[in-house]
Amino acid sequence: MTATMREFRDRATIAIEDVRLQTALEAATGRFCTARAAALAKLPWVEAMRDQFKAMRAATLANLAQHLEQFERQATAVGAQVHWARGGAEACAIVTGIAQRRGVTLVTKSKSMATEEIHLNTALAQAGIQPVETDLGEWIIQLAGEAPSHIIAPAIHKTKEQVAALFAQELGQTELPADIPALTAVARQMLRAKFLAAGMGISGGNLAVAETGSVVLVTNEGNGRMVTSAPPVHVAVIGIEKIAPTWDDAALWLSLLARSATGQPMSIYTTVVTGPKRAGDPDGPEEVHVVLLDNGRSQLIGSKYEEILQCIRCGACLNICPVYREAGGHAYGSPYSGPIGAVLSPLLFGLEKYPALPHASSLCGACKEVCPARIDLPRMLLELRADLVAQGLASPVEQFLEQGAALTMRSSRVWQFVTAMGRWGQRPLLQNGRLTLPASLNPVGERQLPHLAAKSFRELWRQGEV
Amino acid sequence: MTARTEILQRLRAQRREVNVPHPWQSRQRFDDLGQQFAAALTAVYGKVYLAASLEEASGQLGQLLAELGARRVVANDELLLSALDPAARWPDLVWHIVGQTPGDLRAFAAAADVGLSSAAAAIAETGSLLIASGPGRSRLVTLLPPVHVVLLPARLLITDLFTFIAARGGEMPANMTFVSGPSKTADIEQTMSIGVHGPKQLSVILYQE
Repeated sequence: MTATMREFRDRATIAIEDVRLQTALEAATGRFCTARAAALAKLPWVEAMRDQFKAMRAATLANLAQHLEQFERQATAVGAQVHWARGGAEACAIVTGIAQRRGVTLVTKSKSMATEEIHLNTALAQAGIQPVETDLGEWIIQLAGEAPSHIIAPAIHKTKEQVAALFAQELGQTELPADIPALTAVARQMLRAKFLAAGMGISGGNLAVAETGSVVLVTNEGNGRMVTSAPPVHVAVIGIEKIAPTWDDAALWLSLLARSATGQPMSIYTTVVTGPKRAGDPDGPEEVHVVLLDNGRSQLIGSKYEEILQCIRCGACLNICPVYREAGGHAYGSPYSGPIGAVLSPLLFGLEKYPALPHASSLCGACKEVCPARIDLPRMLLELRADLVAQGLASPVEQFLEQGAALTMRSSRVWQFVTAMGRWGQRPLLQNGRLTLPASLNPVGERQLPHLAAKSFRELWRQGEV
Repeated sequence: MTARTEILQRLRAQRREVNVPHPWQSRQRFDDLGQQFAAALTAVYGKVYLAASLEEASGQLGQLLAELGARRVVANDELLLSALDPAARWPDLVWHIVGQTPGDLRAFAAAADVGLSSAAAAIAETGSLLIASGPGRSRLVTLLPPVHVVLLPARLLITDLFTFIAARGGEMPANMTFVSGPSKTADIEQTMSIGVHGPKQLSVILYQE
């Protein structure tokens, strides 16, 4: 997947013209924003908490190797098997390898952005293993053969009628009523059978705690509990940056995660997995594997983009973003959409593949305001725009204008010449002292720009007028 | 070079000395932990029953089982529950006590009407029950049946996650879940629907000892 300027514009246009999608996006993102604000308002000390969280995340990344090694040591001590994957292909090979060794043909999955990122389902299917997504939203888009359009509400773009049609098809029936509780009951029944039959459960990890070698999963539906409890094997795929050194840190993390995401003080189920079942445990997986996924993350450590790794995937920046709220998730052409996706996708998957995303922002700064870790997303969007130019990835027109601007501003004589030309050239466009753009650039006729003054400040200064 | 070595080398090359912030201390205060717990859990569609003694709690449990029309009940083998001897108390019901009743626990739990357990702790701020795995404590008992009933002595209530972590001691169980309400989703048209994969009903009988 990619997001060139044209692709982004085309996909965003489709989304903007889809009245039903616009209504759904507005309602959902609005509700998430209100709920988040209300949940945070109940903690008078939440700003201090966010400061502390940011400091903790920054300190963790500065010393990430040590925390990962501690995690590995602790997880291994309780019987989990820890794997390391440089990239997506390597991670997929590890997971399919475990499944094949165990003779697994059916896998149940709980929601995981990391496995979306590496296209694990495709790899499993190619190896003859059937992956079943069990988060209701993820299952809907899996049945539809689509990508998630929101980090925490992946099927935000689907209507209940569309869901009913998908479920009916899966059940081999002609029709199902488009009734939400009834559809939920259908999903419960169909997926319950899968949970109990699966030979392996795959999850992501909201965070991993180095102190005890634990993986923490946050869900509302209970599918996270199912995939880590019912099958004989559990595999968690988790990005190397999602480490909390201690349980104190994990508590801080969990205190902000659900509140920032959905406005819940705590998600319905917060599951902590620390190795396979112990002697005496009546049930639980015999094998627990943790795949630590790099996929471009370690390259960011120590760079001007390190801060992006503080992200905990709450989705608050999507909900508040005026671009995401109009363009929707699919415009970004990546599992990661919104402001976080606009920064993360080019960094993980290649700026040349996602040249439009650094521009998919008005730089209003709302994302930074709501981020629990106060990640400076606008700064990194600007850095990426500079990288686009430096790497020759900007469009020829933009390159020409940027280089022209740089040349002009470097010398006061060129500047004076160009502004003099501009003063002369702008005359046909001046209306009532405002610069009105030609109709092709200004279809509604509302856009006006300040014009170049008759005399520059330097001239006024020289002539003693200021 | 293995993936592990490569990743760790790259990270170590960028290692920096930083000040690690002091752990966050709980600032939450509640006058009545039980009241706060009940309010928080009720707000997310959990049900809370208050009892003045274990005996009263067991009366409420019997009433609840009758109201639910429960036939098959699967229960974790925990001290609090064994003191109650539920199988003897309600002999009309079909009981499966983990580790005591012979037979397939998984199959019984999958077809049970009610799962009965206690908790290792409960967090007042968020109305969360801490359910831990261990000998006699099945994960499926609290997950598969449509109703999960919890007997919770008031002494297990703590303020928030931070006080829980500060008091935490010893080893972690293989599985520990903070349960904060019945299973729910809003994945279809952002409309709340209760009871997707986990229990559709969560009832807590909170009693004084």
